[in-house]
Amino acid sequence: MKTFFFYKELCDMCKKCEIACVEACKNGSELTRKAAPFIHIVFGIDGPTHIQCRHCEEPPCVDACIGVSLYKGNYIVGQSEERCIGCLMCNMVCPYGVPQPVYEMEKMAKCCFQCGEIDNPPCVKACDRGALKLSFPQIELKKIRRQRVEKFIRR
Amino acid sequence: MKEKIRYLIIGNCIAGITAASELRRLNPKDEIIILSDEPVPGYCRCLITYYLGNFIQENQLFSHSLDWYKQKDIELQLSTKVVGIDPKNRYVITNKRKKKIAYDKLLIASGARPLFFPGVSPHPDGILGMRTYEDAKRLIALADKGKRALIVGAGFVGLKTAYGLIHRGVKVDIVELLPNLMGRMIDAEASHRITERLTSHPLLDIRFNTSVIETVRINNRFRASLSDGTEMDVDFVVVSVGTRPNIEFLEDTGVKVEWAIVVDEKQMTTVEDIYAAGDNTVITNLLTGKKQNIALWPIAASQARVAAFNMSGRQMSFPGDIPMNSVDFFGLWYTALGEVQAEGDGIVHKIFSNDRFYQKLILKDDKPIGFLSVSNVNHAGIILSLIRERVPWKECKKHPLASLVPILQLD
Repeated sequence: MKTFFFYKELCDMCKKCEIACVEACKNGSELTRKAAPFIHIVFGIDGPTHIQCRHCEEPPCVDACIGVSLYKGNYIVGQSEERCIGCLMCNMVCPYGVPQPVYEMEKMAKCCFQCGEIDNPPCVKACDRGALKLSFPQIELKKIRRQRVEKFIRR
Repeated sequence: MKEKIRYLIIGNCIAGITAASELRRLNPKDEIIILSDEPVPGYCRCLITYYLGNFIQENQLFSHSLDWYKQKDIELQLSTKVVGIDPKNRYVITNKRKKKIAYDKLLIASGARPLFFPGVSPHPDGILGMRTYEDAKRLIALADKGKRALIVGAGFVGLKTAYGLIHRGVKVDIVELLPNLMGRMIDAEASHRITERLTSHPLLDIRFNTSVIETVRINNRFRASLSDGTEMDVDFVVVSVGTRPNIEFLEDTGVKVEWAIVVDEKQMTTVEDIYAAGDNTVITNLLTGKKQNIALWPIAASQARVAAFNMSGRQMSFPGDIPMNSVDFFGLWYTALGEVQAEGDGIVHKIFSNDRFYQKLILKDDKPIGFLSVSNVNHAGIILSLIRERVPWKECKKHPLASLVPILQLD
């Protein structure tokens, strides 16, 4: 199960990922086109941070969806757009603040990988700093741990 | 050891369906049976008011088709009401010629039904609650004939029903016993703002601090006498003053009931191998530590998942949750989390508002316990996680996404 990793110390807020997302979503549905980009780089409390669907293993938004519009697929949290009624329940429970209302369509929108590239999405490809990665948590966390140990030894 | 374990689920709404699909995932070979007292397969109960208002079509209302049950190899018995349980011999008794159905593990997800009160009791010609697909169908038929409706109770269900009826061209009067909308999930200012928006609609009128004393059937209409002395002639009455759990069949089973079914963290009742989830249970309110019935779709789904894991012999626990709700109607978006009416010592209110929107965060002993928001609802989930984890206010302001939530930047 892959998820997104963000290294704030590498990010220089160039927002190429946002542009790539918008470009890739141009062929998506009307809701997707209106709501893109689905990644936002903002300046958080302690540096840059990303607002982006993590496609959780146990997504609270799926449990909360009273219209059974959001669903947990094999790799992603997807959305059957025609079932969405814009009730805001997903917005209410998402700890990452991801699903956002598209007011004129009275629907909620979030990243559903409409770019079609689940393994290497455009947002990750666009990041030439290596700040955004899509990886398996076990592998990525191991890497981070090893880096920390090496840093400690070198010191 | 038996070859196949039989999981029996009473109730076919979100708790029953979530549990069934989780049980199937965890136990590919075992037998799963769902008993439903309704004649239709799985549908989104919360969407019936949208269906009433013609915002969605019938096919959008239904979420799980008969094919879905077949594909998952789940046996669905419709129009089957459970009338009793024998926990000793492990079977339930149904209303169909008292047929007995044996079980190895039982999940009670029978939900709740609308509450009526003396003076306003259900009437086949037009006094009803709003809870099921059949209620919605009846209400649509009534709304096509009648032009005037009375709704008792201005809670979430009452207001959403009113919104649906208005879209069918029915003049709606709402009578509410309390001085505000939505019971405990709102404060005075938000109630005032929302009421103003609602009553600006020509077809809607709300009376606060008023109750219905009785309704009489006169000339094919209903005459309602209100506590403020007025009499109102309406074509039909919708009662939405609360719910009560469907637990009558639990008599003499030893399952402990305190208003609703008492369950432990594993969702097991006081009787072995009988589990419960959904609107018919009381759960721990994480803010007060007290047992409380919080009837909410997401909570029912989480409870059902925990129950399914424990029924399959795995470990998972449900610690409890906080009251919350969110709604969209009349072009308004409203979200309320936790205890929004708290007053007294150690309570601090943080308010962020202008004439277009209104947000309020309630702190108790320097920790957020409640949040409500009218019209500006973005990132409410961030605050929900802060409330659930009881994060001190100073730490809240250090949340990585705090710069996005204006109310977290207040002093």
